[in-house]
Amino acid sequence: MEKEELKEKVYAYMLKYKGKKKLKEKDVCKGVSGEAGIGADEVKKALREMIDAGKLMYSYAGGASSVEIPSEEYLREKGLI
Amino acid sequence: MPKKYDTPLLDELEKGPYPSFVTEIKKAAETSDMSADALGQIEKSYRDKIPYWKHGGIVGVLGYGGGVIGRYSSLPEEFPNIAHFHTVRINQPSGFFYTTKALREICDIWDKYGSGLTNMHGSTGDIIFLGTDTANLEAIFAEFSSRGWDLGGSGSAMRTPSCCIGPARCEWANIDTLDICYQLTQEFQDELHRPAWPYKFKVKVAGCATDCVAAIARADCSIIGTWKGPILVDQDEVKNYAKGGMNIAAEIVRMCPTGCMSYKNGELKVADEDCNRCMHCIAKMTKALRPSGERGAAILLGSKAPIVVGSLLSWVVVPFIKAEPPYDELKEMIRNIIEWWDEHAKPRERIGELIEVKGMRSLLEYIGVDPQPQQIKHPRKDPFIFFTDEDFEKVYTKDKV
Repeated sequence: MEKEELKEKVYAYMLKYKGKKKLKEKDVCKGVSGEAGIGADEVKKALREMIDAGKLMYSYAGGASSVEIPSEEYLREKGLI
Repeated sequence: MPKKYDTPLLDELEKGPYPSFVTEIKKAAETSDMSADALGQIEKSYRDKIPYWKHGGIVGVLGYGGGVIGRYSSLPEEFPNIAHFHTVRINQPSGFFYTTKALREICDIWDKYGSGLTNMHGSTGDIIFLGTDTANLEAIFAEFSSRGWDLGGSGSAMRTPSCCIGPARCEWANIDTLDICYQLTQEFQDELHRPAWPYKFKVKVAGCATDCVAAIARADCSIIGTWKGPILVDQDEVKNYAKGGMNIAAEIVRMCPTGCMSYKNGELKVADEDCNRCMHCIAKMTKALRPSGERGAAILLGSKAPIVVGSLLSWVVVPFIKAEPPYDELKEMIRNIIEWWDEHAKPRERIGELIEVKGMRSLLEYIGVDPQPQQIKHPRKDPFIFFTDEDFEKVYTKDKV
């Protein structure tokens, strides 16, 4: 699978759970890996590229971290829109 | 000129013989609007008995998942300069050794972008910079990183490893704590900056069981220097201690946790096979006693402050492991331990809690360590491992052979 296609799948997975569940990086890797039938390591690489580019971001609450789709405010603050 | 607030309740905390955080914030408040408003809000919190901070949320540096902890005032209209008051954690050098040039440099950066308030150091070990605005975060990171500094860990990540001063200034260090701390920090860079685990994981390295870095009470994984040989006794120095007024029977022999020492006719003896290398006697009689033989580390797991369940102290899991460069054995062992925890733990469950839930057997099998007497936490009442029928079968078969 092409990396861009995989990134779209990761984003679609994140959208599915947006506002419903706090997803850890591992949850996303396992979930997308199961749905797309590819290795979790590949998903992890794609996920991290998306985080580096600001397409996704880490969040933090109560001492625990999760991965989220960034808000417009965050993207503006980072100069990404 | 920063606004001045009346702080009668905070002023009480400046009385008495101890250093006061209020005095330090007041100093910073002479030139910093943020520190001035922080004083005003804290006074109001003390008066109303209500905390006015909100924590967490979505703040950070692009690509990093840790190192910045969001903090906001819930009274931004009353205290506009601390509407944002985020904390930035910076990875400290091993053993907290700085040049004055480095300290001036980081303080100048903080005066430029933040409140000027610091905490040297946080309980994890990082340098803590208290109070900045979201808009400044990328600039702060750029300034620090251009001078060779990096963010520390926060959230569900490897937290910044820390260590005692070790061989830099202490002759009792059995391992090079500074190098191990640095090497582990490099080894786990990805895990430090990208939180992917169920919860936090703290590593601390102490050169001996005196444990000046308090690893046994604070770290999920304590690496503590130890030795294999006997304790060497200089009987002339023992006599000097006795002459100097030391009550060796009371202060040394009866304080030995395993009762492995005796003192008769002015002679101190150690039954080394019963010694657990606690360092009490050596730390008390530094001129008379000395470790010997092969040096290495014990790995203890599980300490934490109370969050999900009460506080826990670390537990010996690996009684002895080589701790020499390039530390491959040590790194592999820590990775295996983390893998087991990451695989089984619920969100916000620390490794000590997981060991209590799943039992030691599951962990020991995963990391390939045999059950050993040193792993017994509470003698005579702690079934630290449950043997299966298969285990007994193996023993009986061996006996028959």
